[in-house]
Amino acid sequence: MRAAFRRVEAIARKELIHIRRDPRMLITVLVMPVAQLLLFAYAISFDVSDVPTVLLDADMTAASREYLASYEQSDFFDVVGRVDSPAEIDDVFDRSEARIAVWVAPGFARALERGEDGKVSVLIDGSEPNSAQLGQTYALALNQQLDREIAVEWVRAKGQDPEAMGGIGANVRTWYNPERRSADFLVPGLMVVIIMIVTIQQTAVTLVKERDQGTFEQVVVSPIRRSELMVGKVLPWMAIAFVDIIAITLIAITLFGIPLRGDVFTLGVGALFFVLGCLSIGLMISARASSAEVANLTGLMVGFLPGFMLSGFAFPLNSIPRFLQVISYLFPGRYMVTITRSVFLKGASIDVLWPQVAALALYATVGLALATVLYARRAR
Amino acid sequence: MPHPEENAASVATTPATQPEQHRPPAVEAAGLTHVFGSDVYAVDDVGLLVEQGEVFGLVGPDGAGKSTLIRMLATVLAPTSGDAYVMGHSVRGEARRIKPLIGYMSQQFSLYPDLTVRENLQFFADLRGVRRSEVDARIARLLEFSDLTGFSDRQAQYLSGGMKQKLALSVTLLHEPQILFLDEPTTGVDPVSRREFWRIIATLHRQGITVFVATPYMDEAERCTTVAFMDSGAILFADSPAGLKRRVPDTLFEIESSDERAAQRAAGALPGVTNAALFGDLVRVLVSEDGPQEHELRRAVSSAGVHVRDVHAGRIDMEATFAYLAERARAEAVSAKPDPDEEPDPAVETGGDT
Repeated sequence: MRAAFRRVEAIARKELIHIRRDPRMLITVLVMPVAQLLLFAYAISFDVSDVPTVLLDADMTAASREYLASYEQSDFFDVVGRVDSPAEIDDVFDRSEARIAVWVAPGFARALERGEDGKVSVLIDGSEPNSAQLGQTYALALNQQLDREIAVEWVRAKGQDPEAMGGIGANVRTWYNPERRSADFLVPGLMVVIIMIVTIQQTAVTLVKERDQGTFEQVVVSPIRRSELMVGKVLPWMAIAFVDIIAITLIAITLFGIPLRGDVFTLGVGALFFVLGCLSIGLMISARASSAEVANLTGLMVGFLPGFMLSGFAFPLNSIPRFLQVISYLFPGRYMVTITRSVFLKGASIDVLWPQVAALALYATVGLALATVLYARRAR
Repeated sequence: MPHPEENAASVATTPATQPEQHRPPAVEAAGLTHVFGSDVYAVDDVGLLVEQGEVFGLVGPDGAGKSTLIRMLATVLAPTSGDAYVMGHSVRGEARRIKPLIGYMSQQFSLYPDLTVRENLQFFADLRGVRRSEVDARIARLLEFSDLTGFSDRQAQYLSGGMKQKLALSVTLLHEPQILFLDEPTTGVDPVSRREFWRIIATLHRQGITVFVATPYMDEAERCTTVAFMDSGAILFADSPAGLKRRVPDTLFEIESSDERAAQRAAGALPGVTNAALFGDLVRVLVSEDGPQEHELRRAVSSAGVHVRDVHAGRIDMEATFAYLAERARAEAVSAKPDPDEEPDPAVETGGDT
């Protein structure tokens, strides 16, 4: 038994030397995750801002100027210019110079004066359906808000009671609005995806590399067992994954202001089994891949796609096709996303999250056993 | 779980201390076969007997199956059929008992390029279960032995070819094995380092270690106690170098001429010439008993328009021996079962032929 521990320790220590001596690997496993977090957190944010916008003022009154000026003050709209005719809107859309055009129709001021709704058209370039839809919702919400403000000011200027006007209640959904909310939703899930990518991809390469280098044969003629080799390979990556998790958690709390409402213990136990599960996927790939390139690509695919699509990180799992929902159970991401979100945001702990933790524990056990078997068979 | 070497106090003398009569053969194989895919017989029904203490040389062209055979004996690759016993243990069922007794050096450099010399040794010492209290002393001794002491903190990837091979050999010696399996250990190594490597093998041989070595070099075959020639997955013949040479009834002539290629063609076309091969600027001609004599060779080559400077009898060495024996084995194989597309030429391996 002591000899077995020593062999596991020797493998683990050797792996750490590899990582330490390879600057690219160090960057990949320690810098990249943080960079990915920052990149994704900002890039995939559901908050839309700085949408290039042109303005068309066909009314040319103090009221219309005031109305359009408030677009320029908004973070959402980035006013890139003014146009003089509807035809020009087409041009700027064609040239992709703007994606939204705000067109104040003639008679805007008079309508407001009469207490009616001012006619404003918000044109949206629909060629990018996703952002167009977001843009539309946002613009509507914002328009309503602005409308009300204008109405309110108008009414005030007339010396009437704003409440008596009934007003147009701005009903902006929080989902799309404050930047903070979106990060709250994203970052805990993102953490799962990032860890999944890093761990799966790196371990996917490790066994193949031994085979390519020919070092595998030298290891095989020693008395080491496959299971010992597996454990020795997994340990350093566990450590690195936890460094990443801690770093991401700290960044999430300090930089993104994500609350950590639940207990760290649940998060830790969940993460332990989750990382083991991911590592076992990597080892399975490594056991079967024919070359380091194949392993690397497969690792990336298996880490990335299910991480993004099937973890519930970006899309609610009940909105994806039924058979994909079934497949999502085969990847550890979905369990962990539930755990991180619940722990971070809802303050949940193991008493509610035990099914997810148990699923991950089972996953890790079966995964590692399967990887060992696959590896043994391949080597023979 | 303790390994035998953990209890061995002496250094690399274990085999010699065993009683002579109960020693199992170092290697004993019967019907050993490995098939890649469904029909590539890399090793085909090989039988082998290697006694302990031998330096057993396995020679043959690339693709003959040498590596596959060694890998099966080193328990890295499972046989498709047949079995082999290494120090009395089956490679099929008792691999774990064999591993502590053997050292294996694969053809490809098999150490970690980014680990230093010492880290590589330390790693494999841990893996092999070398007693902790002995590790440092043993590493120091092996570094000394292989002349690598000054390079112990250098990463393996920055060593020269010869030093890499010595390091790889040192790694295989860490746990004081009784048999070493070396797969073309000196391929791609400069001649000086090759000689040094064989000096180390000779030392190990004196210590009683069995060495099983595959090599493409005929001069290295000469240093073995037994040489086996392998071709197309089968061992064609095996004997001591002297025994093999005695099997050659032919006479060897060496022709010095103005155009060695033309001379080779002319001599090779003569009836009774078994083999005509280039050897530097010489043509070495193996002539059977009823073949041409010295003056007949001279005349034949001259009449091909080549100026002959000298024809003299040469010493039959391993190179010539293999040329002859391979030729004969091939002739026998052709008469037994015609096989037109397999024409491995052992002379190519010696670096002497066209």
